[in-house]
Amino acid sequence: MSAVFDSAAINIDALRDIGGIIDGGAPAGDPAGAWADRKLHYKLVSPLNRRKFDVIVVGTGLAGAACAAALGELGYNVHAFTFHDAPRRAHSVAAQGGINAARGRKVDNDSLARFVKDTVKGGDFRAREADCWRLAEESVRVIDHMEAVGAPFAREYGGQLATRSFGGVQVSRTYYTRGQTGQQLQVAASQALLRQVAAGTVTLHTRSEMLDLIVADGRAQGIAVRDLTTGDIWAQTGHAVVLATGGYGNVFFKSTLAKNSNVTAAFRAHKRGALFASPSFIQFHPTALPLSSEWQSKTILMSESLRNDGRIWVPSAPGETRPANDIPEAERDYYLERRYPAFGNLTPRDVASRAARDEIDAGRGVGPLKNGVYLDFRDSLARLGRKVIEERYGNLFEMYTDATGENPLEVPMRIAPGAHFSMGGLWTDYDAMASIPGLFVGGEAGWAYHGANRLGANSLLSACVDGWFTLPYAVPNFLAPLLGQQALPADHPAVVGTVAEARAVVDALAASSGTQGPDRFHRRLGEILYTHCGVSRTAEGLSEGIRLIRELRAEFRTDLRVAGSPDGFNQELERAGRVADFLDLAELMCIDALDREESCGAHFRLEHQLSDGEAARDDANWSFVSAWQHGARPTRHNEPLHFDSVLPETRNYKSS
Amino acid sequence: MAVTGLIFAAFVLVHMIGNLKVYQGAEHFNAYAVWLRTLLEPLFPYEGVLWALRIVLIVCLVGHVGGAAMLVARARRARGPFRRRRLPMRSFLARTMPVTGVVLLLFVIFHLLDLTTGTRPAASASFEHGTVDTSHAYENLIASFQRPEVALFYILAMVVLGMHLAHGLWTATHDLGATSHRLRAIAVAVSGILAIAIMLGNISIPVAVLLGVVQ
Amino acid sequence: MRLTLKIWRQRSGDDVGGFESYELDGAGAEFTLLEALDKLNDTIVAGGGEPVAFDSDCREGVCGSCGVTVDGVPHGPVANTPSCRQHLRSFPDGGTVTLEPFRSAAYPVVKDLVVDRSALDRVIEAGGFVSIDAGTAPDADSHQASHETVEAALDFAACIGCGACVAACPNGSANLFTGSKLVHLSLLPTTQEERGKRAGAMIGAMEEEFGPCSVYGECVQVCPAGIPLAAIAGLNKEKLRAVLRGKDN
Repeated sequence: MSAVFDSAAINIDALRDIGGIIDGGAPAGDPAGAWADRKLHYKLVSPLNRRKFDVIVVGTGLAGAACAAALGELGYNVHAFTFHDAPRRAHSVAAQGGINAARGRKVDNDSLARFVKDTVKGGDFRAREADCWRLAEESVRVIDHMEAVGAPFAREYGGQLATRSFGGVQVSRTYYTRGQTGQQLQVAASQALLRQVAAGTVTLHTRSEMLDLIVADGRAQGIAVRDLTTGDIWAQTGHAVVLATGGYGNVFFKSTLAKNSNVTAAFRAHKRGALFASPSFIQFHPTALPLSSEWQSKTILMSESLRNDGRIWVPSAPGETRPANDIPEAERDYYLERRYPAFGNLTPRDVASRAARDEIDAGRGVGPLKNGVYLDFRDSLARLGRKVIEERYGNLFEMYTDATGENPLEVPMRIAPGAHFSMGGLWTDYDAMASIPGLFVGGEAGWAYHGANRLGANSLLSACVDGWFTLPYAVPNFLAPLLGQQALPADHPAVVGTVAEARAVVDALAASSGTQGPDRFHRRLGEILYTHCGVSRTAEGLSEGIRLIRELRAEFRTDLRVAGSPDGFNQELERAGRVADFLDLAELMCIDALDREESCGAHFRLEHQLSDGEAARDDANWSFVSAWQHGARPTRHNEPLHFDSVLPETRNYKSS
Repeated sequence: MAVTGLIFAAFVLVHMIGNLKVYQGAEHFNAYAVWLRTLLEPLFPYEGVLWALRIVLIVCLVGHVGGAAMLVARARRARGPFRRRRLPMRSFLARTMPVTGVVLLLFVIFHLLDLTTGTRPAASASFEHGTVDTSHAYENLIASFQRPEVALFYILAMVVLGMHLAHGLWTATHDLGATSHRLRAIAVAVSGILAIAIMLGNISIPVAVLLGVVQ
Repeated sequence: MRLTLKIWRQRSGDDVGGFESYELDGAGAEFTLLEALDKLNDTIVAGGGEPVAFDSDCREGVCGSCGVTVDGVPHGPVANTPSCRQHLRSFPDGGTVTLEPFRSAAYPVVKDLVVDRSALDRVIEAGGFVSIDAGTAPDADSHQASHETVEAALDFAACIGCGACVAACPNGSANLFTGSKLVHLSLLPTTQEERGKRAGAMIGAMEEEFGPCSVYGECVQVCPAGIPLAAIAGLNKEKLRAVLRGKDN
């Protein structure tokens, strides 16, 4: 089969080098006990010494705000940075559906082990098993803590916490606050952060963008920052740096992410030596809104929780022109229920996205551009009544009506896959530390937990677990031996040099005097990726993608225009820097996707599928994490993956 | 301002009820005026209660006007140089509170000169002061309202009072922290009904005088 | 469709600023207001000019970054809708639309349509939080909270912090914002111990930078989160409660 696709493919060996085996550093033995074992061995810093350590936290989303707040509560001297005008704006705020926790209170047979199994299996066995155990274990008190600091989790009529089931699992372990779980968690976390600002343990720098990582003596010791209001570029030094700068799904331009979400902080750390894991693992959210115009700035996300009560279907016949409500039951194809009877409309995101893509590509797409599928509430309205449905999804329906002018209570919603979550990210070891000592990573900026596909409601959880619980244990372990050492002085050559380099990059961009603004390049980059590195991939398509990205990068270098001056507030300049990094990342994504000769989770290579069209994972050859090192040609290192508690099996959502 | 405003609201309500005695004729009305001055005698001296009430009202007035001045000053400072323009009609009452307030202040001064101190030209030419056990309040009132321009001024002032009261009572509801749905619904109704009742009750008197119903 | 956009241009906070007119051609009625600005900026950049600076991020109405004053109304003509979800279908084809930054003395202009709303965060910093450290919270299933109370808390917790309430208020008041926070935090089982202290501190900080409330109700007309006017009564209730009790809780 592969011959069909490989004709125009670039030889992967011309694109990358192969490095060595790297060690994730998880404790040996039963992964279930790994976290307890590791915590026991972590070194401690005594309370009186904590204020002698400066910790830099970049990003104030769920992971960043939590980490800064928790370290501040412990007594460390924290410097928190966000490019937003306020910490609460970070894109965690937009997550809708909920947050998972393995509390297992109901008698639906949930447990820590089942959570781990679901997460590892959902990630198609490309995550580190011990990480997932930690995620499960700490998930329990995440709910307690977030509720305590102000997130009004939904309650049952009896007064206990309410849960619901969410994409990809058969138990009810998702805690939620209407359709605004991310917002409530983010607001609570930023309030906790501001509490530490008031207490004087955290110094908050808003409208400040990290441009580079300062590495000295082989350790991350600071960051170069641009003050977005004044244009001033300066350095913050410290004993450790935490990056919690979010995911890079915006590389697709039209994604479910916020317009300003970017990869710059993570990618510049990558350029300084931090390995980047699985860049091609991008999740396409099955319930985004289809595009309706060229200038539409994003694919608005509709919470996956809609799939609990909505049924997904397309007309059985291609080219159907009747309005949805006029199509009789017999001529509707509830393709998820048909293909995956056990999970039906709740199949994991990658499966649902690919299935939708199949239907759309087969000409059965719906809507004016034939680029969506129906998500229909007719049956649940009849079963549960309008009041219940409105209480569950009211604000989502409002958002949908606002965007499309249609009322989901009357006509089915239209949905389509949109670029959403990046499972890939900076590679970290079991202690959440990147390959540069002293550089820690939390939340979506890292690669941990989700493997090749993230389960719904696990992203808020991983950000919270990292921020509130993993990093506050792991970072002090790194700091403890540094007691007595001062943070780098401002005149240290590494500090001066890095700031000068960051300034040179900014000045070069600002001097670009072509004809097109950065957004034009970004839009085109997104189109290239959707076509060539999207829901399904081929060697030929990826090779073509790489060629197109290189052409686009060349054009970017010659024809970019950055209006305005670097000495002040300049959003074009900010965008230009971010697009430059996206261009480099995009190529790395394609190389990673081309390199990985298997299908797993969200990474679906048409060359590697089973006879029934399902993903053909290749555990014999690819059961490892690809961790890329920056260079003229990227070098791929491997972290082999072992599974002791959840034995690898082919994902099967057809029967349970 | 909420507390002083509510005291004023209570005062104008009682005042209006007293005013309506005009429909019972001169005897009743004048007796009421005498009663006000001799209230709780001999526990309190002549006009003792009246003066106590007057002092409360004066203190409230100082507080209310002072509060209003501070509110306006703070609002202007907080808003900065760019005012909100072309506001919709729904906030008409809120927006006109300073204006209606000033009009009411001027009205109160006129009203005191007209019917309490009897200072001309605010008072009518035939104004006559009362004595310890007599009152000419009824005759003074009729004489004053028989001047059409004064009657009109009274009528307009009562419309302004109604506006000021309606929004003032609604604002006081917020200042006093009424959050429950039911309480707020009641507050809306009470604010409106009270404002309209006081306005119409008072307006009826000059109208009645002008029409010759009350002579 | 075609629109004339009269846009406030101001190079920096120190600059005086003024309106400039731009013609926007070829926009569709389904465009959001911010997508129209994206398109306008694309044309401006291609023509060698400097694009209009404006804040926006999630474009779904939840992050609270965006906010411009449209024809004198914060966020735009459709009530309770953030700028990113205002659509061109609200404007007549061929008409003129005036865009200004949010106006308030508490929001100094950074550039063009971008303002500094950090004053809102200073209100939170004063006490808009719960003093419970990571790891020390009680089991959330060990206490109960009624479905109704939590839903009510969510009505107020929905605030997205965009600050339009202040810009809409002729008095420049932040009572709706502060009230929503206070009511939200007053209704939860774990937030009671510093209820009084929180009210005093937040209201004090608010009064330093924002104007007084005289219940114009303009704020609730623009609030994208639909925070009800009861938030303002709630703020005063918390204040009275704190004063009368004189205790931290």
